[in-house]
Amino acid sequence: MTTTPAVVAHGLTKRFGRLTAVADLDLEVSPGQILGFLGPNGAGKTTTIRMLMGSLRPTTGHATVLSGQAGDIRVRNRIGYLPGDLHIDPTMTTAQLLRWYGRLRGHHNQERIDELAQRLRLDLSRPFGTLSKGNRQKAGILQALCHDPEVIILDEPSTGLDPLIQREFLALLEQAAERGVAILFSSHVLPEVERVADRVAIIRAGRLVTVSTVDGLLDQARHRLELHFTNPVSAQTFTGVPGVVQVQVHDRAVALTIDGPVDPALRVALDAGTLLRIRPTGDELEDLFVSLYPAPQTADERIEVR
Amino acid sequence: MLPVLTQTLWRRRTSLAWWALAMAGMCALLAAAYPTVRDNNQLDTTFANLPPSVEALLGLTGGNLLSSPTGYLDSQFFANVLPVMLLVFTIGLASQSIAGDEAAGSLDLLLANPISRVRVALARLGALILLLAALAVVCVLALVALAPATGMDKGLSAAHVAAATIAAGLLALTFAVVAFAVGAAIGSRPAAVAAASSLAVAGYVLEGLARQIHALHPVDAVNPWHWLLAYDPLTHGLTWHTWLPPAVAIVALSVLGLPRLAHRDLH
Repeated sequence: MTTTPAVVAHGLTKRFGRLTAVADLDLEVSPGQILGFLGPNGAGKTTTIRMLMGSLRPTTGHATVLSGQAGDIRVRNRIGYLPGDLHIDPTMTTAQLLRWYGRLRGHHNQERIDELAQRLRLDLSRPFGTLSKGNRQKAGILQALCHDPEVIILDEPSTGLDPLIQREFLALLEQAAERGVAILFSSHVLPEVERVADRVAIIRAGRLVTVSTVDGLLDQARHRLELHFTNPVSAQTFTGVPGVVQVQVHDRAVALTIDGPVDPALRVALDAGTLLRIRPTGDELEDLFVSLYPAPQTADERIEVR
Repeated sequence: MLPVLTQTLWRRRTSLAWWALAMAGMCALLAAAYPTVRDNNQLDTTFANLPPSVEALLGLTGGNLLSSPTGYLDSQFFANVLPVMLLVFTIGLASQSIAGDEAAGSLDLLLANPISRVRVALARLGALILLLAALAVVCVLALVALAPATGMDKGLSAAHVAAATIAAGLLALTFAVVAFAVGAAIGSRPAAVAAASSLAVAGYVLEGLARQIHALHPVDAVNPWHWLLAYDPLTHGLTWHTWLPPAVAIVALSVLGLPRLAHRDLH
């Protein structure tokens, strides 16, 4: 049985004057799937999402959500959306906002709201103006999830959340996906995407450069390892070892950047002395971009369009 | 649509309270100053020699003396202070109805709900009209309540005070919907304010000049200031000359920006 994708972008292109913010982008998210939408600032993530939501009109191509034209008000009731730049009347409390949106949506589930507020640890009775950045973001997430939508589209949702709440939030997304909700969320940090996303779409300079599973992506990524020895080690030990692209030595610690399997470097390390511990220092997205696309960025790529 | 309208009213409640207070204060000041003007016969002599253009802008066209309540209120309030107050109030609100949310970045979130852009805009316009009406009611009530205390009610009916207030409100609303249309069409708040207020100033100047320069008379037909000042609703009540042209202009201008709003990119 094939399921119809809940979110579809086909040949999606947006030009602002001479600047092409998004070029010929194809995306699909099926019910029950979580798609992580990754890219550096200004890559076109927000522009793509705003076209999906109907805030921007595509120059060419089309975007549909739940088989409706993006921005069709009949499907909006079934979408949960968090914009990248969240602004809410500072005098309004979260409870007031949710009551108001409940009236607009014709749907208000106080039980669900209370449950979400408890899980995200958000006080619903405080005005937005008095909330911290993280708490505002929680309120934004709450309004996107509280009506149990079929599609959830979130633009950099975990901005400002502390690690504990971030984990809770990712768990909420996983539970929603288990219920069959299609989820698209953008981010510029790989770890959170890695945790929950089934697939990752990477956008750079308005173009989709890869859509792949998280594992597939990590195989391509450069790894950074920090090796701690009991004895001093020289940088020469690692030069010329297959896969090692960068070596930095600080007394008894060696920082390696490795492209490909880590096996050859570790074998050399075992021979180089007594290895005390190994610390992976991340497969940062930035590294990934560097490894995938070494071409220098042009000024155009940095322009963030909102 | 109703939830957006009521939410807009709720959001403006503090602002409205301050404006109402200022309005009532202005009316009290007018009433308190009236005895001084009434008892100063020299003022009438001075004003009798004014050129017609100045008389027109002062709202003294109907042969009303400055010392009479009608002449006093027209020249000191209904022909200038009140329209300007209402213009500032309504242009500010109208420019925010769509463009304000865009500038604040709150429109994307609101429009993720099942309501169209055009309906949001119309709900905001509806709220603006209700807020303007509330301020007008405060003005009429304050004048009617305070006038008898200093004899400012002589020869003046509450109905005519209401007529003059409505006329000033219609003038304000006519220019406010210019801000509304520009804001809806291009989403720029400064452009919306600039378009509406420069037209309002230009209209005021042209109304004065047209009383001296015959070549400018055709402008009268489309000048909201002429609609307000030429037929003196405080003396004659609300005639169709006063309410029909602005009513038509308001409806026409409010829909002008909507087709573009429905299809353009939001900021």
